[in-house]
This record gives sequence, structure tokens and C-alpha cells, in this order.
Amino acid sequence: MDPSSSGIQEPFDLIRLSLSERVFVKLRGDREMTGILHAYDGHMNLILSDVEETIMIVDTESPEAQGTVSVRKHEVFGLIPLQYLVLQVAKRKMEMLFVRGDGVILVSPPSR
Amino acid sequence: MDDSPPPPPPEESTPPPPPQTHTGSPTDFLKGVVGKRVIVRLNSGVDYRGILSCLDGYMNIAMEQTEEHVNGKVTNRYGDAFIRGNNVLYISAAEAL
Repeated sequence: MDPSSSGIQEPFDLIRLSLSERVFVKLRGDREMTGILHAYDGHMNLILSDVEETIMIVDTESPEAQGTVSVRKHEVFGLIPLQYLVLQVAKRKMEMLFVRGDGVILVSPPSR
Repeated sequence: MDDSPPPPPPEESTPPPPPQTHTGSPTDFLKGVVGKRVIVRLNSGVDYRGILSCLDGYMNIAMEQTEEHVNGKVTNRYGDAFIRGNNVLYISAAEAL
């Protein structure tokens, strides 16, 4: 059924093959994290350990953003060239983490 | 009772079937693009270009050789990527089917 060499039949196979491996997770709210995947379920709820979270803080102090009020971040990205965005990055580490599945956008296993 | 007229034949109220030259259902399209290069656009406007490995009924997607594009620029590359289906806006075929 699957013509590719990786031999996965459904998307969750990709996650299953990443158990006990360090995965990259992209989340809603401009957050990314890497951690060791211990468990997951059909909602993509995740249990991660040894987690480093990276939070992108979009500064709207750029000229185009002056005077605009409560512009949503992804709209800012769409309207203003990236060089005008002052990106502040915050990082934090957590030993063990439960990630609620509905916040997950993308999960990438380590490259094999 | 027996000599009452039979009920009239049912009206042709069902929608006509799609013409035979139709290229197929959405499911047929998705089956056709598995293994092909695709562009997946998310609700956030981010594009993922790569080879579609497989997908499921939630439109969860597994992709290979994936490039993340934001505002036309490559912002990340993933050997494999799982995309949670609720984020998907569309899947576009990037090569002939």
C-alpha cells in the first residue's frame, strides 16, 4: 500500500517509531520543544522528558505595527516583512511534561 | 382498497451522479497524491512542501523530505514530519498525478 521506503501505513506509525527518541514538536502559540517521547495517544497527547521549550515572542514595536491594536501574531507575520519583527526568544527546561494534543501542530522524529 | 391506484412513481429528486468524466472524489484525489510531492498549507498560513507518505481519516499527515515555508522562505527542514490534521487548510499536488 505504501510505496515509500519507510514502510509506514498510517501517520501515527511515524510517532510510534519515535518512542524513546528525541522529537521536535511545534505547538500553537509560537512554541517549539524537543524532548524524549515516552508516550502518546490518538489525540497526540504526549509525554516528554528532558524537555527544552522555545517560545518566540513577537515584538510589534516595528514601524508598521505602530498604532495597530491587538493584531494577532500570525497576521503580523503575514503583513510585515520578517526583518521588521524583533523576535525575542525565551527558553526553559522541564524534566517531565504532559502536552495536550490539541496544541500540537507538527511532530518530527530525529532524522534517520 | 385493492382497486386504489398505485402510488405515483417517485420523483427524480435525487441529485444527478457526477459526470463520468469527473476526475474523482476527494478521497480519490488523496489516494492519488500519496507518494507524490505535495504542498500542505496550514490554517496559520505556513506551507509544508514534501512527499506525502500517508494520511488518515483525521487528515493527520506523514511527510518526508519536508521544507517549512513561511512568507516564501524556507524556515525549517524535516526528514520526517507528522502534521496533526486539525491544522490542515489544504493539500495541493505539486507534481502531475
